[in-house]
Amino acid sequence: MALRAALIRHLRVPVQTLSPAGRVSQPSVANSLFGSIRFMSSHDDHLSKEDVADRVLSVVKSFPKVDPSKVTPDVHFQSDLGLDSLDNVEILMALEEEFKLEIPDKEADKIDSCKLAIEYIHNHPMAS
Amino acid sequence: MSLASTAAYAARRAAQRERVRILYRRALKDTLNWAVHRHLFYEDADNLRARFEVNRGVEDPDTIDRLIVDGEAQYNKWRHPDPYIVPWAPGGSKFTRNPTPPEGIEIIYNYGREDND
Repeated sequence: MALRAALIRHLRVPVQTLSPAGRVSQPSVANSLFGSIRFMSSHDDHLSKEDVADRVLSVVKSFPKVDPSKVTPDVHFQSDLGLDSLDNVEILMALEEEFKLEIPDKEADKIDSCKLAIEYIHNHPMAS
Repeated sequence: MSLASTAAYAARRAAQRERVRILYRRALKDTLNWAVHRHLFYEDADNLRARFEVNRGVEDPDTIDRLIVDGEAQYNKWRHPDPYIVPWAPGGSKFTRNPTPPEGIEIIYNYGREDND
């Protein structure tokens, strides 16, 4: 029992607490390796912009009415790709399904080009 | 008569376009709610798009208004009782599940250590 208690006390990892002034106290050595990667957390997986851009472009390219060779990161859906406003709605639905987002109707109107879509998704806190 | 005030006419047409777009969006989401399997959804989405395309060339604003009202009535009739909503969105299952605690609250980590330890 005493051995077990001693073992557990030896393995105890100190918690980083915030001092009242708000500064993070010095992390211990055991924590510095894992400080930036939290394995079981669901809040650290914010997408990088290239990831978002790749996925958005692949979604737009796989749209049947779009010519895949014309798709670039700053293409405008209606003027460059010759799509309709209803096609715009369809592309947005595909993007919502890809990134598990829910885009409100007002914002969905304003997303008109790949660039806006990438920006919006990148800045959305719940995109995954 | 409506061509004389082209700004008002254009505004009216733009508002109609807005309504059509929102109606199409909601109808498409509803189609996905009803037709869960993907191949069925693609067929139903094509049918929905064809129904919208039939009325594409209509120019008269009153006819367009009537068509939009008809379309919205049909949409309301066919709304799914249990739509899929993304969990963190309002109406979803994870909405306000774990709100951020209010400011100024601090947790003291003493792991249940008692005073006589």
